[in-house]
Amino acid sequence: MNIKTFSKTLTGIAIGCAISFTSFAEVVVIVHPSNDASFSKKAVQRIYLGKEKKFSDGKEVLPVNQVPSSAARESFDSDTLGRSTTQVAAYWSKLVFTGKGIPPKELDNDAAVIAIVAENPNAIGYIDSASVTGAVKAVSLN
Amino acid sequence: MKKLLTIAALTATTFAANAEVRINGFANLIGGISNTEGSPYGYGEDLSFSEESLFAIQISGDINEKMTATGQIVARGEDDYSPSFEWAYMTYAATDNLSISAGRLRLPLFRYSASLDVGYSYHWINAPQAAYDVPFNNLDGLRFDYSNYAGDWEYNLQLAYGTYENTTEDYSVEGNDVVVASAELTYEWLKLRGVWGTSNTTLNLYALEDTFATLETILPADFYDLYVSEDDRGYFIGLGAEVDMFDWFISGEITSVDTPDAFLREDIAYYVTAGLRMGKFTPSITYEVKESDDDFKFTEQISALPSADLQASLYGIQTLLDDDLKNITLGLRYDYDTNIALKADVSKYTDDLNEDNDATLVRFAVNYVF
Repeated sequence: MNIKTFSKTLTGIAIGCAISFTSFAEVVVIVHPSNDASFSKKAVQRIYLGKEKKFSDGKEVLPVNQVPSSAARESFDSDTLGRSTTQVAAYWSKLVFTGKGIPPKELDNDAAVIAIVAENPNAIGYIDSASVTGAVKAVSLN
Repeated sequence: MKKLLTIAALTATTFAANAEVRINGFANLIGGISNTEGSPYGYGEDLSFSEESLFAIQISGDINEKMTATGQIVARGEDDYSPSFEWAYMTYAATDNLSISAGRLRLPLFRYSASLDVGYSYHWINAPQAAYDVPFNNLDGLRFDYSNYAGDWEYNLQLAYGTYENTTEDYSVEGNDVVVASAELTYEWLKLRGVWGTSNTTLNLYALEDTFATLETILPADFYDLYVSEDDRGYFIGLGAEVDMFDWFISGEITSVDTPDAFLREDIAYYVTAGLRMGKFTPSITYEVKESDDDFKFTEQISALPSADLQASLYGIQTLLDDDLKNITLGLRYDYDTNIALKADVSKYTDDLNEDNDATLVRFAVNYVF
């Protein structure tokens, strides 16, 4: 490794860290406390991309999203769905205008997501891990 | 009751007006200017917005838990923005995996067929016309959509049956007994797709009506029936692939349109496109080709005819619809917002059969969805 690429790599790492500290919230997936289904990252991806309509235990699933301007949304789209928020929007525009799907409703903030998930056994959402309350169950994606 | 209300609230989308009737729309405002008159896609030396722009509204409503009705009204610049119902269909969701649609809907011919008009959904200003500009796009009939997954592979199968009809200023084309079957496989970053279709096709070129009327009187009846494009089996075959590594992607499609028992020669079209995703910017390059078969058809029957002039015209007619074109496009997409994209591209178009058609085209676009 020559000194030029080495210093470039260092700058890259520095920039990478700065970004991950400032703009990405740590997001957890939440469900109703009575929900005993198991979750993998793949299963959550399928639910949020409209490909899976049921939980692993066969119960109907109602995903809720956050508005595109929220930090939680940006993190969820990039970390869990592996796409940028714009790509997710483009993906849904394809499904909507071919009559193949309806995107999850977008809520304004963590509190609104908690309110829906706390009272609906079929709901699934995601919030900043710091916002989790006892009214919902945080699940780890195995 | 409370649960029902929450469900109703959840199924209403952000795009939507309320839970029962959803109104969505999309618009492509596309301007273009070329260095020659009558250049590809209708652009000329004056800036024009009317060649590819369109505005559309989609209304869909849930009839019951399993059935949805959808109508799409599209106003195209090339039709003077006069609105028409391009799609109108009902969908029955038989299971979570299988849905059946009936009415007027898009034929599943290409990878981007379904969302062809929604410029926001792809990186181009328009899908590569060398392949996508076929005279049959919408079907009156039925379509079955099945999607599922096995392990890490997701698959989507479509089967369509019905008829199509398309009338323009220059020709009318009609297909009966149309069957199109397609399969798409997705594995993480890889997508593969194959499609096969057939129809009983009748193509009527107004400019050739008199010629064919004369041919009918002088050619042997069975050879005339073979030569004319009337009620003949046409075939459509296509293959597509995509590798999408998020930071970059490359994809392509190749298609063949062939009507063996008519004077039309086989068309092969393909394109390759690649791009980088750099934050809000997606620069891309696309190379597209359309070529007609060079070999003359029915040489045995034609050479048996007594008149050299007649032979020459029968060969000549075969070349009338030939294409031999290439187009290379450099494009840039900028994501202005989660529902607005701005785009610009420059294309170098080459027509090997008529160099008067060679052109350089610059376009820019605003895509909007709501």
